[in-house]
Amino acid sequence: MIRENTDLLIVGGGPAGMSAAIAAASCGVRSVLVDEGSELGGQVYRKPLVPDAPKAHPTGEALRLAIADHSRRGRIDVRSNTAVWSVFKNNEVAIVAGNRSALVSAKKIILAPGAHEYVPPFPGWTTPGVMTAGAAQIMLKTMGLRPGKRIAIAGSGPLLVALAAQLVRKGFPVANVIEASPFRAWLKLPIQGWRAPRLMAEGLGYLATLRKAGVPVQYGRIVTQAHEENGMLARISHAPVDDDWVPDTTSIESEEIDTLCMSYGLIPRSFIFQIFGCEMNYREDIGGWVPTRNTDMTTSLPNVYAAGDGTGVAGSVVAQLEGELAGLSAAKALGARDTDARIGKVHRALERMRPVREALDAISIPRPGLQTLIRDDTIVCRCEELTWSEVRAGVENGGTKFRTLKPATRLGMGPCQARFCWPSMSRQIAKIAALDSDQIGPISPRPPIRPVTLGAVAAEQGETS
Amino acid sequence: MTTTSDVVVIGAGAYGTSVAYSFAKRGQSVTLLDAANSGKATSASAGGLWAIGESLGLGCGVIFHTHEEPVNEGAGPQPVPRHFMEFLRTSSRYFPELANELGARTGMNIEAESGTGLFYLLYDATTQQHAREILNWLGHDETLAQEWGRDRVLAHDRNLAEDILGAVYFPGDNQVNPMFLTEAYKRAAIADGMRFVAEARVVDLCMAGDQITTVRTTAGDFSAGIVVNAAGAWAGQLSRLAGASIPLIPVRGQIVCTETLKPTLTCNLSTIDCYIMQKAHGEVLIGSTTEMVGYDTSVTYDRIVELAKGAVRAVPGLEGATIKRTWAGLRPGTPDELPILGREPSVANLHYCTGGFRTGIVSAPLSGEMVAAAALGERTEVPIDPYLASRFDSKLDLSHFETTAA
Repeated sequence: MIRENTDLLIVGGGPAGMSAAIAAASCGVRSVLVDEGSELGGQVYRKPLVPDAPKAHPTGEALRLAIADHSRRGRIDVRSNTAVWSVFKNNEVAIVAGNRSALVSAKKIILAPGAHEYVPPFPGWTTPGVMTAGAAQIMLKTMGLRPGKRIAIAGSGPLLVALAAQLVRKGFPVANVIEASPFRAWLKLPIQGWRAPRLMAEGLGYLATLRKAGVPVQYGRIVTQAHEENGMLARISHAPVDDDWVPDTTSIESEEIDTLCMSYGLIPRSFIFQIFGCEMNYREDIGGWVPTRNTDMTTSLPNVYAAGDGTGVAGSVVAQLEGELAGLSAAKALGARDTDARIGKVHRALERMRPVREALDAISIPRPGLQTLIRDDTIVCRCEELTWSEVRAGVENGGTKFRTLKPATRLGMGPCQARFCWPSMSRQIAKIAALDSDQIGPISPRPPIRPVTLGAVAAEQGETS
Repeated sequence: MTTTSDVVVIGAGAYGTSVAYSFAKRGQSVTLLDAANSGKATSASAGGLWAIGESLGLGCGVIFHTHEEPVNEGAGPQPVPRHFMEFLRTSSRYFPELANELGARTGMNIEAESGTGLFYLLYDATTQQHAREILNWLGHDETLAQEWGRDRVLAHDRNLAEDILGAVYFPGDNQVNPMFLTEAYKRAAIADGMRFVAEARVVDLCMAGDQITTVRTTAGDFSAGIVVNAAGAWAGQLSRLAGASIPLIPVRGQIVCTETLKPTLTCNLSTIDCYIMQKAHGEVLIGSTTEMVGYDTSVTYDRIVELAKGAVRAVPGLEGATIKRTWAGLRPGTPDELPILGREPSVANLHYCTGGFRTGIVSAPLSGEMVAAAALGERTEVPIDPYLASRFDSKLDLSHFETTAA
């Protein structure tokens, strides 16, 4: 088996992972930084790949420059296009790169897996032309591509307005932004705004762009159906909602749209912590099952640190601070000196951010009314094309946990391992089984958590022990 | 409060749901308790219905009766006793009708295939010698096994490695979806009035004399005239609660599953390294290891590598297939590799339906029927005596099992 050893392994090259590597390097600790992308930055600081793409975010550029500098000096070993697919006993982390699997052992490991979007099922949501806001953002940020002609952006949370403004600034018109939370909820945000001036400035800038371009932002509405014609999205229906986001189906409006970009906030990509065996706890306000953490960012496993949105969604500013804290803490544990003052400073900065993130959580956390959109024939598990009635039959025959419903119905048995169906299905199952969402349990992820081929594994050379 | 029924079945794997259904079909009131342990063998089974192949030990990559051990009668370990091969063939014949019956009762398709067959691929002179011994043992009965030359095998399935020397073809060895089989049994029994209790972990078996009076669980107390131990790899622990002892231990099997592929394999495959099967949903399953490591359900890197190498060796085109999952199950293993069925000698109302080991799916229909019939005083389809717990002396001798060095 190919095995290599390192003091510090950092998984994920978004704001948290990059900051962790920089912080550790600044303390003289070398690290291996593993990232799936071809360029560091993660989702939020994605690097433009063609000249026609919008300019890179300055914070992302600064982080990339700092990494490049440390990398030249041999302090950070950046492995792009590399994914962690599992961990085996004695902390042997299995990575795959260039279609070859290998094992890496590390004294300390920082996991910064990030988050993905929450798109709850609703009638027509699998129609071609409906995409996640994140997918649209990748097309825009890396290639400068226009996702469609008549674009609507719908869901909840700050990503909607950000994506709309980024499209408009690139010269791509946006027909409508449909935000589930009422306007009055967003009005409360500026009270906390002074704590995060950069975020506030960005947000106000986005709104100004949209106002100038005449893009309507409709608050307190959700998309109730995507209508298909000739196999493509042709129209959407949307309706006003009450405080629980239950739509008023008597006042549905219809609009011709060919591209619908959806996001109801983010879900932590916390599988990797489960695979490592970290203790998990259920936090509805930050997206579901997240690893239990100590103030130094260690998980229940003393050699495994957790940072960024993958530990509970809080955005790029918090992710960067958490990454820095994890990097400093790991460096300290590896013997670096004079880290305490810096650790204290980052703690205080994180503390200042807390009210902002709590205010944002309160606005964008998905409300139960979204579940009312699910009908018997609505596909609830895209990978397996399962309808709600098929899953419900499993629940009615005694399946109450994700773990038992999986073999019984194939719910979550597809490649996504229930990443996408878990948030809505755990709520839905809880509803009819009269349980709390946390009682439905997390999904039970199995290796590989990222794609690896049989050939990549079979290519392992040497003696098998 | 105690819930009372005619029968309590403990364990909702393939054996537990099968026996519960057999009792329910006979008009008995049944309660089925499930602890949802992680590592249930049913969930880590490939669902091979290999009455003949399994009898010859081809089910786990020829792990058991390796070809170094001749399968000639009277020389070295036997594949399995002939009565058990007949047991497996009888049970295997249940599936076509069972698929219709359960389909009609539940609307579920258990994906029981017919006409798939099984190839045992011959790689070298040693496996060829093994093939000759297999064919001899089966008396050259072409309905059971046929020797196919290389060209015929490759014409049948173009995806196989070109350097094979040939194969033994088992025309009657097909496959089923083991998870859907279990779920359909459960749903059919529920339709017959069975009570299913999820998350019910047995914490005690309360006794009065030689009778179990109460099955105490995390989901309440249950009592019944007939208590069935169908707890799979946990059956030994369960019986100890009633002061009974059976030589049964968990045997870990690791398994690799690919993403959904276009129809690639025309046939089930067994090789010296592993088995390879494409399921109805398009996934290819590659298994399995045979390890005695207690209740550890983790997968190990080196074993996954071995299985991947074995798959690519047999079907080179699988190289580019993405692995969707790897996991492990705990099969209930007994010293003679036969199931434990029927009554426990020391407890008046305790019956076994367990020990399916690597034949648990193919043997589930007949095992369930036998246990229900015997418990109710009916005549069983084949004699139950060879499968009774009373066949064991007290010693737990599993020395012939291949194990991983701990």
